[in-house]
Amino acid sequence: MTDGPRRRQLPGWLWPLLLLGTLALSMLLEPAVPGGLLEVANPDASAAERVSDAFDGLPDDPLVLVAMDPDLGTYPEIRDTVRAALDQLRTRGALLALVSYTMEGRAVAAAEVERLRAAGASADRVADLGFVAGAEAGLVLSVTDLGAREGGDLASGFSLLGGGIAATDMVLVVGGVDIGPRTWVEQVATRVPELPLVAIVPTFMQPEVAPYLRSGQLQGLIATVRDAAAFSGPGAGAPPLGLLAGMLVALAFVVRALAAFRQGGDAGSDLPEEPA
Amino acid sequence: MPATIVVVIGLLLLVNFVVINPLLAGTTGAVLRLVVLLAAAAALAGGLALVLRHGSDLVRGHGDRLGSAVLLAGMAAMLVAGLYPGSQGAADPVVRWLVAALLAPLIAALFAMLFVLLLGAMRQGMALRSRQMGVMLAAAGVVIALLLPFGGAAGEWMSGVAGWALEVPIGGVFRGLLIGVAIVTAVHAARILLAVEGADD
Repeated sequence: MTDGPRRRQLPGWLWPLLLLGTLALSMLLEPAVPGGLLEVANPDASAAERVSDAFDGLPDDPLVLVAMDPDLGTYPEIRDTVRAALDQLRTRGALLALVSYTMEGRAVAAAEVERLRAAGASADRVADLGFVAGAEAGLVLSVTDLGAREGGDLASGFSLLGGGIAATDMVLVVGGVDIGPRTWVEQVATRVPELPLVAIVPTFMQPEVAPYLRSGQLQGLIATVRDAAAFSGPGAGAPPLGLLAGMLVALAFVVRALAAFRQGGDAGSDLPEEPA
Repeated sequence: MPATIVVVIGLLLLVNFVVINPLLAGTTGAVLRLVVLLAAAAALAGGLALVLRHGSDLVRGHGDRLGSAVLLAGMAAMLVAGLYPGSQGAADPVVRWLVAALLAPLIAALFAMLFVLLLGAMRQGMALRSRQMGVMLAAAGVVIALLLPFGGAAGEWMSGVAGWALEVPIGGVFRGLLIGVAIVTAVHAARILLAVEGADD
């Protein structure tokens, strides 16, 4: 006697290949999807409008400090939004000064400065202030002393940076790690309350940062994919079909695991094995 | 003695926060610069320890020799690029290229594996038949379904429900945790400042 025919199971190593194949195929088929059938996240324009209003409130030729401290793992989620914000500020004639208070942030900032330089942004319009050591202590010192050591290398338009963060017209905080919008509100907004702060963060930080928007300590916040879709405009972000394929694969795994859990079987036998 | 130093420094920073006085501001600035120097020294010590550890592994033939060699070569390349005569340090184009063209994409590629690793973790969690894992996966499944990128009124309603889930239940739990942590931190800091506990720590 046997227990009946055993269902053949795919080997664990095949799942990552199937996943990659599905995603690659979806990218190739992307142009064939009729417009409007799939959308990334159904844009929510309210957050984007607040950020645009904050940008509109800037004086002529403003000096904007961009605090680049995202997390390398979640930066892809907000990358298009950050680039759209930098482009909008440049279009408004802003001088951009990029600074980082974390090593991860410095890596991303270096990449973005290279991209801006390749796009034609000269050193008179975009300054790289580099990495400031000391975490929150360094941030507090920067309130009155930012860029002094690079003062000789900076274009004349950035001479105001010698007066620290307080001398800028706005700070755009790109968050994702410990030093993010909350730190800026705690350490900088309390010392320079009139300085407008605008933040872009990945979705996981939304519950932490959203109260500062409601209290008025942040002038604008882009924190979800819906906000980002409205701010960055159509065509930005992940292609909808690729996104759909990835999400369906994940959903299939979740449903399969839950069904096996309910039936009391081997819950994860045909799911991919964690690499050693 | 350590508790006294903590109390004095803490009170100095607190008073400087509410009183505008050049002498006080200068003293606080000096303390903050000391903190920055300490952080830099800690980072330097960490880097040296890493070099010693992997250099030792490489010489003695222990551990992952290839990994140690790649790590030491990477550190050497970054140091040379940042310290060669005439280099602009961290702003040098070579350093920027190393970071932007090699370091950032490599780390991003590692993080891109998170999707597969999460599925692997899910497999292991379910193999343990953990009820908490079941609840977590059910919630994840619902949120993924709600965020599927469909257009039109149905898509709008689905993403609206997902947004509500983020702002109300998840936001409430998260803020409750933050408020709890803040209260405990404030009480602990006050106890240290008042020398109620930890005087000999």
